[in-house]
Amino acid sequence: MEHKRITVFLAIIWGVVAILPLFFGSTNFIMHILIMCLIWSVVASCWDLIMGFAGIFSFGQVAFFVIGSYSSAIISARLGVPPVFSVFIAGIFTAGLGVLVGLPCLKLKGAYIALVTFAVHMILEPVLKGDIGRALGTGGARGILTIAPMNIFGYTFTSSDPIPYFYLLFLVAVVCSVIILMVIKSHWGTAFLALKDAEEFASCLGVSAFKYKLMVFALTSFLTGMIGGFYAHYVGMLSTRMLGIDLFVTLMIILVIGGVGKFPGAVIGAFITIAVNEMLSPLGSYRPIILGGLVVVLVLALPDGITGLFEKMFSEKKQGLSH
Amino acid sequence: MFIEIIDVIISGLINGSVYALMAVGLTLIYGVSKAFNFAYGSFYSMGGYIAFLLFGISFFNNYLIVFCLAAPVLLIFGFFIEKLLVAPLRKRDDWEVKVMMITLGLALFLDNSYQVVFGARMKSLPSILEGSFEMGEFILSYQDVVIFIFSLGGILIFRWFLNNTRTGMSVRAVAQNPAGAQIVGIPKEFVFAATFAISTVMVGMGGILLAQKYFITPAGGWDILVKAWVITAFGGMGSIKGGLYAAFIVGMLEAFVGWYFGMTWTLIALFAVLLTTLAVRPQGLMGKWG
Repeated sequence: MEHKRITVFLAIIWGVVAILPLFFGSTNFIMHILIMCLIWSVVASCWDLIMGFAGIFSFGQVAFFVIGSYSSAIISARLGVPPVFSVFIAGIFTAGLGVLVGLPCLKLKGAYIALVTFAVHMILEPVLKGDIGRALGTGGARGILTIAPMNIFGYTFTSSDPIPYFYLLFLVAVVCSVIILMVIKSHWGTAFLALKDAEEFASCLGVSAFKYKLMVFALTSFLTGMIGGFYAHYVGMLSTRMLGIDLFVTLMIILVIGGVGKFPGAVIGAFITIAVNEMLSPLGSYRPIILGGLVVVLVLALPDGITGLFEKMFSEKKQGLSH
Repeated sequence: MFIEIIDVIISGLINGSVYALMAVGLTLIYGVSKAFNFAYGSFYSMGGYIAFLLFGISFFNNYLIVFCLAAPVLLIFGFFIEKLLVAPLRKRDDWEVKVMMITLGLALFLDNSYQVVFGARMKSLPSILEGSFEMGEFILSYQDVVIFIFSLGGILIFRWFLNNTRTGMSVRAVAQNPAGAQIVGIPKEFVFAATFAISTVMVGMGGILLAQKYFITPAGGWDILVKAWVITAFGGMGSIKGGLYAAFIVGMLEAFVGWYFGMTWTLIALFAVLLTTLAVRPQGLMGKWG
């Protein structure tokens, strides 16, 4: 998609989301879902940046999210850092880990990268539950049960009054998407595309795979870790249940619905998926079956996601006009 | 102490043999069609559940009959999954990601269907052969011996199939050069579906064999998927020989780490070894790029 159209598209999405509390503001339950939508839209956009644009099959996005949320909770509880700063420290910490994970991935290809990054996801649970985790303050299998709520200049955001927190996260999500948009627009984005399409040729032309791949790892894990921190301070408790396969697949559905490598698609996908997921919750144990079936059907029927559908509509219109 | 070490070695060998059977299946699909199957673990559970269903019917209460009935079911299932879900995606540029996504969705669908149909509780299969061989403190159950023999037998049959039958040879041809194979008239699409089906049978058989020792649970396949994945990457994706060596190394490593440090450390040790190997040899033990 053209950059201009992405920008317009993004502006429309955020404009609509900004006025949603006018309609749903009185229902805390719906506001809670909207906050979750904002959080997952950031995580999914980051995943889209690394997988769709940079072409790196990173499967560690949920792991980075969990690392960010745990580290922010631990930093604010143990060191007494206010949550406003601890989320950024958590982001930086996660970015460091992201670079560490990215280093072995530089030499690897395709499914190997998926394995190494997924390995982080798999190891995280025993580490958080085990002795190392308990020494750091993860609370072992029980998790962290009390996390200080977000607090800016003496104002405390509580989950009983979600509208202020919604707008705080809205701001964060908008900033994140603008950063991602700028990355895609800049020479970074071009370099990513070049490396994805023809790595050898691109590096012959002087595009450093080393630099750009590490950068994308650092950036996406920073944003993911930071939003993980915001999540931790919002829900107030953490456990390793987040590392279950359900959340991972939900995130993947977001990308499938939004379209891989179609940037604002991940944002739309997040809102649709999380809302549908909540609507299906009365179905109980049938819900994951439906979600799984949905992924299968959607990948086959809508391979480029909703954004792909829009693009098709626009290009057909253009063709119709030129005739 | 000495007896304990022998026990550990034997359990490593037995697990290694079953891992080999399953890793060879995964590496086969990747080697031939470059597709990565995330639902592989669910196929493992499927083997266990099919056997569980068949054992429920008293007429089929025999492992030989169960194997003979489960194999064709799995074969047909795998064939159609490839034809219906994976084959239509192959035309696309980014089909590798799409295949990963669709199989992940399939895994979620299958795992939760098991949970709804069979319940979340563990299911067990009867032991294939009762009794054990005892010599002083040293005990070797016949069940383990049979599992070992069946797994090795499965791999040998598979090897014979690849080297001696026409379908097997066309599978190897497609793995070496898909375009060239098509030029000489090998039906590429059929070979892709056939390898997928064969790998489904292999992992399903592994599921039946291991279910007597480790129970069947709806989400139990994930562990197997991760292990088979680690083994294939360790041995080199697409390299069957590498997968075989890697399976026994991983089986041994797991047994020794589990015995010495405790079971929680096995996964961590596994990934540590894998990362070190990949850092030195990004293509795995015996893999080739391309």
